Amino acid sequence: MKSIRKIDAIPKLNGSWKFLDDYSYEEMIHGQLLYSTCHHGTIKKIHFPDGYNLSEFTVVSAANIPGENIVPEPVCDQPYMADKEVFHFGQVIMGIAHPNRKLLREFIRKIKIEYEELPAIIDIKECLENEDNVFGKELIIDHRTGRKPDPNWIHHHKIYYTPHQEQAYLEPQGMIAVWQPKEKIMFVRATCQCPFFVKEGVETIMGSAIKEAVIETSEGIGGAFGGKEDFPSLLAGITSLLSYKSGKPVKIVLEREDDIQITTKRHPARIEIETWTDPETRKIMKIYIDYRLDAGAYQTLSPVVLARGVLHAISGYSIPDAYIRGRLFRSNTPSNGAFRGFGAPQAFAAMEAHVESIAADMNINPYKFRRKNIFRIGNEFPTTQPILENNLSDCLERVIEKSNYLQKLEEFKEWNKTHKDKKGIGISIGYHGGGYTGNGEKVLNSEVKVVIEKDATVKIYVANTDMGQGAHTTLAQMFFEAIDHPREKCLVQLPNTSKTPNSGPTVASRTIYIIGNLLRRFALKIKDELGFENLDDYVSSNQNEFPREFRMKFVQDPSVVFDEENYVGVAYKDYSWAACVTEIYFHADTYQIELTKSWNVIDIGKVVNQKIAVGQAEGGILQGLAYGLCEFFYKAGYGRMHGFSDYALPTTMDLPEIDVEFIHTDSPIAKGLGEIPMDFPAPSVRNAFHNATGIFIDEYPLVPERIFKSLTADERR
Amino acid sequence: MKIKFILNENEVSIDVDPMKRLLDILREDFGLTGTKEGCGEGECGACTVLLDGKPVTSCLVNAVHIDGKEVMTSEGIAQEPLGKLLIDCFDETNAVQCGFCFPGFLVTSYHYLITDGEKNPDKIKKALSGNICRCTGYQKIFESVMLACERKPLISTDQVN
Ligand code: FES
Ligand code: FES
Repeated sequence: MKSIRKIDAIPKLNGSWKFLDDYSYEEMIHGQLLYSTCHHGTIKKIHFPDGYNLSEFTVVSAANIPGENIVPEPVCDQPYMADKEVFHFGQVIMGIAHPNRKLLREFIRKIKIEYEELPAIIDIKECLENEDNVFGKELIIDHRTGRKPDPNWIHHHKIYYTPHQEQAYLEPQGMIAVWQPKEKIMFVRATCQCPFFVKEGVETIMGSAIKEAVIETSEGIGGAFGGKEDFPSLLAGITSLLSYKSGKPVKIVLEREDDIQITTKRHPARIEIETWTDPETRKIMKIYIDYRLDAGAYQTLSPVVLARGVLHAISGYSIPDAYIRGRLFRSNTPSNGAFRGFGAPQAFAAMEAHVESIAADMNINPYKFRRKNIFRIGNEFPTTQPILENNLSDCLERVIEKSNYLQKLEEFKEWNKTHKDKKGIGISIGYHGGGYTGNGEKVLNSEVKVVIEKDATVKIYVANTDMGQGAHTTLAQMFFEAIDHPREKCLVQLPNTSKTPNSGPTVASRTIYIIGNLLRRFALKIKDELGFENLDDYVSSNQNEFPREFRMKFVQDPSVVFDEENYVGVAYKDYSWAACVTEIYFHADTYQIELTKSWNVIDIGKVVNQKIAVGQAEGGILQGLAYGLCEFFYKAGYGRMHGFSDYALPTTMDLPEIDVEFIHTDSPIAKGLGEIPMDFPAPSVRNAFHNATGIFIDEYPLVPERIFKSLTADERR
Repeated sequence: MKIKFILNENEVSIDVDPMKRLLDILREDFGLTGTKEGCGEGECGACTVLLDGKPVTSCLVNAVHIDGKEVMTSEGIAQEPLGKLLIDCFDETNAVQCGFCFPGFLVTSYHYLITDGEKNPDKIKKALSGNICRCTGYQKIFESVMLACERKPLISTDQVN
């Protein structure tokens, strides 16, 4: 629980920590992507502007690819660059490089592409309502009992929608490729989450033209949130090709406008829920969920997002009879991808709204209704995975108590009677399975390496990146705390694929949970093997043994057995749990929701570094609240947003007081923290708005325009 | 165009395209890469510097605008006693996450500290509202600036001047 300071904070503050754009190489030139502005069509002709010396430019397109034109992904269906047909706005057609960045920009802006336009689906609802757009494999969790609903069970049937969400990492996507022809090595400096994904990406596009790709991250990775999981593979591929062709180091840093328009986002969803609730016992007896995601033009990693979505779709309720289906829908928009939460925020958005509607309809207190139905020991997930702890209900009880929820419900009810503005309070719960889904961690087979130097310095080699979450501080802390070694003698090295073993990607809340716990066991194992009490003493009296390298692999717990065909079994070994209560103040004249306070109780097991954990939770919670409140990326009639000027990110002025408490911290394991703060808060905003006004809005975000429409629609009724 | 200006307390001059952005002048011509480009459209504040003592987004300021003026970047502020105080407070609270926004926050908070410095959450929120941070949820940033306001009197005034 020690809150040691971060190793990188001071250099980040005084500007000496290097982010991608802060690196430069001799003779380096600049690259940029030329992408489609047509949603679907065949390319007829590309006109380069007059007045430029074309020989100064390096241009690469699909025709120049020595390897394969398919980005490696869970489903490999997306080309690096379009050949003749483009399937979405933002699809890359060419990479172009020039020594002068300004001139390059100007040149690219003047390029004209003639298309023969074909029919395209760009509207989210048009995509998700039409079953003809389904592509890829349907996932089904079938936990039906075959029992017919009793005639007195109350039926509820609703459809919920969630929008895109932009990761908005503050450092745009960027890549530098340095071709080394003598060694036939493509060196790539990347701002990314997954150096080994980037390596595979470069080696796929370059094929036998190179011997190997070596990826090293920049010192600083300016935020990622899932957005730097798979897009960097594509970007690195094209940057490498430009370096290969020009023979010069090439740097591409996306302009914010390009970044926001062409990179992956959170999948918009349409989630239809039907439930049957027994009015006597107040238990939900039967549920049917139809979970749909707009994947964009290609599947890429959407099937994995879909898997997590259906596995979290029921929220935290034990429902004896459940049927959940998940499907991907195709549209002519850039492929959606990973974003903190990975399918779970959509699931909770729908189910946490749904239970609120049932409770309202049956005139039951929303907390008491949740309490009746919440997971307890002895229940199971729809996949039959047994629930082994009551920690979710502990989170709920604690947050109700500390927020004074029950009393405030009454107070606000009174206050609202005499005021035009309204006060509201809302609950939501959530959880997140740690690590890769199902058998994923077995397949990943992660390995870590440690080198102990002659001066007893411990160098830790992991492929997991520190993109702000403090991973490199916390991972080192888990190692040195286990063997009581001085902090300054234990350092995580900058990930580099030629030195670092593959400990897997920095995703799925797995860094501390899988790799951190592995490092802790590893430290104890080394201590045991060498038989030391104090590493410093041991090294100084056994100098000839050092430097020495140690390696260890992750072994999955044998209880994790998951049938990926039928979606039966243990999908995740450990879950983080959370509950939230949010208070709002609704300004009746401006239709604006002001967040006033948000209480959050989270179980992530052992907390390694209290301040880092609280900070990460606060950031995720604000992203979550903003997902429900103000962020949207596509608007019918307007199209997609263009940058930070029209994509509404929360600022300091939107910030409520955020209270975070971790419970069950005496647990021996540190569970996942990265994603859960994003998963659960958003529905509390919507439920608080319902509490304030009596109106349900089943679509995020709750912007004034949407509120105005529902209020006036309600008055007309 | 030849321009002269004061950069982090040193007089400098440079021959430059009058429309070149101050952000690029700092990063490319002076190697001061602490000033970051987050959006290039004046929205995120990652590129904030002080121009004649006032915070500006350097992605929207051109070379012509700085001739004869005084520019202070995060690197310069990091050398000042109150800058050091702020850095220590940000560090102590573990406020810094990815850090890309922080040089901008350092500049804006420094400006607040020298022009006002009252330990008042509403004033601080307002002062920092032009800077976007996507990682922290801002709470730890406030805590840090509040802490700096509290500790400011401990920094001797002649050090400040
Ligand atoms: S880069 Fe200047 S405000 Fe964002
Ligand atoms: S710390 Fe990452 S944007 Fe602020």
